[in-house]
Amino acid sequence: MAETLAYGRKRRPVRAVSSFVDRHFKWLLVAPAVFLVLALSVFPLVFSAWVNFVEFDFSVSSSHPWVGFANFTDNFADPDWRHSIWITAILACSVVAVEFVIGLLLALAMLREFPGRRILMVIIVIPLFISPVVTGGFWDLFLRQPIGPANEIASWFLPGTVTTNFTDDGYWPYLSVIMADAWQWTPFMFVILLAGLSSISSELYEAAEIDGAKPRQSFFFVTLPLLAPIMLVAITFRFVDATKLFDIIYTLTRGGPGTETYTTSYYLYYQGFERFHIGQSTAGSWMFLIALSFIAYWLIRRLLKPVEA
Amino acid sequence: MIHYLSYSVPYEKEDGDVKHDWRMAVGEHGPGVLEDLYARKEFLLKASKLAAAGAIAGPLLANVERAFAAVEVASTGGDPVATAAVNAAKQYSGITLTTIRETGPQAADDKLFGGPLWEKLTGIKVNTVEGSDAEILQKQIAAHIAHTGDFDVNEALGAWIPDFADRGVIVPTDDYLTKYKGSASLKDIHPVYRSFATYKGKTWGFSDDGDAWALYYRKDIFGDPKLRKAYKAKFKRDLRPPTNWDEMTETSQFITDQLAPKVYGQGMGRALGNPGNYFYFFQTFRSLGGRFFDPKTMKAQINNATGLKAMEYILAELKASPPGSAKFDFLTMWTTWLQGKTAMIYTWPPTGRISENYAQRDKAFSFLPKSKIVGKVGYAPIPTGHGWVNGVVRCVSADSKNIDAAYLFCQWNTSPSVSLQRVMLPYSLRDPYRLSHYKSKKYGSLWPGASKYLKALCQAANDGVIELVMSGAPDYGTSLDRAMTAMYAGKDVQSTLDATAKEWDVITKKLGVDKQRASYLNYLKLTGSTSSNTAAAKGIGFKC
Amino acid sequence: MRRRTRGASGAVPGRFHHSVARWVFLAGYFLFLLVPLYWAIVTAFKPQDDLLAQPPVWFPAHPTLSHFDQALNRLNGLAALENSIIVAFATTVLAVLVGTAAAYSMARHATGGKHLAFWFLSGRMLPPVAVVIPMFLLYSQYSKEWIGLRPIDTRWGLIVLYTVFALPWTVWMMYSYFRQMPPELEHAALVDGCTRWQALWKIAVPLAAPGLVSAAAFAFIFSWTEFLFALVLTTKNAVTLPVVLAGYIGLFQGNLWGETAAMTLISLIPALLLGIFLQRHLVRGLTVGAVQG
Repeated sequence: MAETLAYGRKRRPVRAVSSFVDRHFKWLLVAPAVFLVLALSVFPLVFSAWVNFVEFDFSVSSSHPWVGFANFTDNFADPDWRHSIWITAILACSVVAVEFVIGLLLALAMLREFPGRRILMVIIVIPLFISPVVTGGFWDLFLRQPIGPANEIASWFLPGTVTTNFTDDGYWPYLSVIMADAWQWTPFMFVILLAGLSSISSELYEAAEIDGAKPRQSFFFVTLPLLAPIMLVAITFRFVDATKLFDIIYTLTRGGPGTETYTTSYYLYYQGFERFHIGQSTAGSWMFLIALSFIAYWLIRRLLKPVEA
Repeated sequence: MIHYLSYSVPYEKEDGDVKHDWRMAVGEHGPGVLEDLYARKEFLLKASKLAAAGAIAGPLLANVERAFAAVEVASTGGDPVATAAVNAAKQYSGITLTTIRETGPQAADDKLFGGPLWEKLTGIKVNTVEGSDAEILQKQIAAHIAHTGDFDVNEALGAWIPDFADRGVIVPTDDYLTKYKGSASLKDIHPVYRSFATYKGKTWGFSDDGDAWALYYRKDIFGDPKLRKAYKAKFKRDLRPPTNWDEMTETSQFITDQLAPKVYGQGMGRALGNPGNYFYFFQTFRSLGGRFFDPKTMKAQINNATGLKAMEYILAELKASPPGSAKFDFLTMWTTWLQGKTAMIYTWPPTGRISENYAQRDKAFSFLPKSKIVGKVGYAPIPTGHGWVNGVVRCVSADSKNIDAAYLFCQWNTSPSVSLQRVMLPYSLRDPYRLSHYKSKKYGSLWPGASKYLKALCQAANDGVIELVMSGAPDYGTSLDRAMTAMYAGKDVQSTLDATAKEWDVITKKLGVDKQRASYLNYLKLTGSTSSNTAAAKGIGFKC
Repeated sequence: MRRRTRGASGAVPGRFHHSVARWVFLAGYFLFLLVPLYWAIVTAFKPQDDLLAQPPVWFPAHPTLSHFDQALNRLNGLAALENSIIVAFATTVLAVLVGTAAAYSMARHATGGKHLAFWFLSGRMLPPVAVVIPMFLLYSQYSKEWIGLRPIDTRWGLIVLYTVFALPWTVWMMYSYFRQMPPELEHAALVDGCTRWQALWKIAVPLAAPGLVSAAAFAFIFSWTEFLFALVLTTKNAVTLPVVLAGYIGLFQGNLWGETAAMTLISLIPALLLGIFLQRHLVRGLTVGAVQG
């Protein structure tokens, strides 16, 4: 007994700490993450709340008097703001649609084993490692008249000489952005969809075939329904990211021609950091964030449902 | 050293160690991994050895070496302004000053020339931050808002001075000018450039660049007999550099019709964000007598009949330009010019130097190809004579921890003798702006047509119209810049100009109509703010 | 006789798999993928004259390394590379550690119920542009006043911020991974006298190693390619690759295409290496998140 007591006395301090850790284990584990997110994600937002309602503009004055809702109305008065929201919506939907279709076809094409598949998989994944700024940069190089080969390549396939200005003519600025973004992010869709396809058991197909289903029918009645949750995940993640389109615009079109390709992120960056209309830009960011939150909330609720079940 | 020698220098076809060696010796080594290998003493020693040995390298090498020597002489007694600055700065030896310049040749000016020399003379180190044009403005404003004191010597386009001064980004330099005997430096700066550094009665730094547009044209094309005959037959006048905008568009289109796709009448840099875009409009609009605002109401006037006419001229010029011109940045513009594909361009002074292969000798200018039109370039005034003029001001940051030292660097760097050497550097993007520059015999002997070039620049400064120098100028400018790219892409001119005028009115309202009016009226007093108060019109121009 | 292959290749009947259409589509996609990339790479080696030549030069006659020299030594490329590597690695380590801890807690102990998991994931929805301006003000001015530190233009400032934005990825991935990992081994360990802390780091984490690698891969990709925050929050000391690259574009005298391409190539190399080794884990990581979702 004396032994145990002595033993106990020596051990007490250590046990106190580790038992503290044990009891509050789960809270201690999440604490760093929660703290970081609060400090650097939530706090800045809250902090910027006051900027929404004051004059914070380099060209106007060095002081910050209260201006009520002026920053918000300034945004709405600017046709570029309205245009940027429209453009963001259109581009986000377009790129997601394009990437989804191509990604799905690619996943179907790469599903079965064949010699060389592994190498091709590595190649497909490369764009994910390249910064979107860089992607925009070399797509600009590729498309730019007269030094890029895009026109020359097009001329090989189409009759006559092609002289399109891919970042200026008609609808081409949008198409160029969509192309560059698809180049960048189709692998993302591809990987998710491939995983989803791979996880569908082949027995289902065999059963369907035995039941007399033709390949097309089994695609629509077996593959698609089972793939649906995965497709939703892929589309959700990609859509949320696509609404923040900024990097590619920055180097591919710089928002041009005129303000044609100003996405909301680019517009807010331009107002806040190139013109230093900080109050107005902050107000715009808040509106953007609130709008996105509604959409995201709805989407994530749907995503999390199976987890809860 | 082997590291350098193993690279093939892209535009030097000659082989041999001497060539590579002296190229490196001519001070291209900038801050970099291998800089330590090349201490200054070693460089000068090697340079002088090679100067003795290499006949081919002789003139250029001797030039740069002479430039360094000339500055040292000037700073130790030759030039009172430079000397006073150096002597007063020696007490700050050991500190570091941070300047900010545009990436590339502009930064090379400080990194390879001004910085090392200043350090040698005073012991003060110079660190240069680089960025694109947009970044430079951004970084300086951001540094000021956050009071980081990142920069000691600021770089401001003339258009930025009002905002920089009002917001306290920079300090007025009148007191320092008196204290350090720098006033003499201002005397031979061309009046049109002096005005950029003056605001609300105070001086805000030193003008440091003579950015006046001139017309550069191909003498051989204009002198071609067949072409001249056809032109005379069509227009009943001789083929010559155009003297007004009608002639400009007619001549450009004529040359394009005759010689495309080998040669086009003109091809300007018109990409979005390119600093030049709204400059074209400002220039043409004012040369036709246009005024930006109505001083009574401060409503923008750019969408009136003059504005429409100006835009129509510009679009006609675009029509005569190579395909894709609407997206030409300056690199592409200059490349097509140097490759002989365009017959005229009107733009900044470095054009003259690069046309004669003077600038491309240096690695810092390696982004441009060799000129195929050496000796074929003539110089003329912009049509109507009222060409674009802008200025750059080296100013002192209010947040600097070493304001005096920063000021002294500016005084020294822009002093008559030092600035003369700087504008003669092959890689320099700073252009002549002092009477001593325009009259310099050394400069006039750099290539056969150099003295005519200097004369053209001097005249351009006399008749030129300056950029918009008022509060919020960058906002007005970029708004118009964007609109112009939309019009290049085919948007209707009148409605776009109307929308832009509305944007201008919104900007004016946001900044305060009365404040803007005061700023604008101030601007109208500056030399060159309209076509009727240019330096020549006021009688204060230089005799070129 | 049909070959039995893994997974649901039944979705792809043999007729399609061997059809011409599939090969044409694959060929088309890889051309689309590789041609612009090839152009970007070959630009890095072209001498200046070839860069703007018409018709475009597909293979330079006199390839040169001068653009690499210029970009690395004279245009800040080397410093940017160094910063990017340090920031990316530090962010990865930090994001994985902190994220794993939080994910474990939520997976095993349902900490915070469904709301906490949702809260972490919603961080992904936050557009950086909404946070960038207050972050700039905080980093440059107010943090100095309040806590005496000034993170602006520092590597650690960037690392901490990147960690926060990488957390949604790592938390979500590890959360999904832990949830599908049976807790029996950890329960056994706890019964044997392990503390929960030990159970986490000595049992659960090693078992979850593949998931960790995936999470790390995504954290790395995010911080390697992030642009907006780096653009705004760095000036000269902590500039990263994307910022320096974007700085070569939009200059007065014209974009430095050769240098841009050279730096692109250089930035590709570590990314490619990681891609080759981590490709499997990338797939798995996205899969786990997806299938669980």
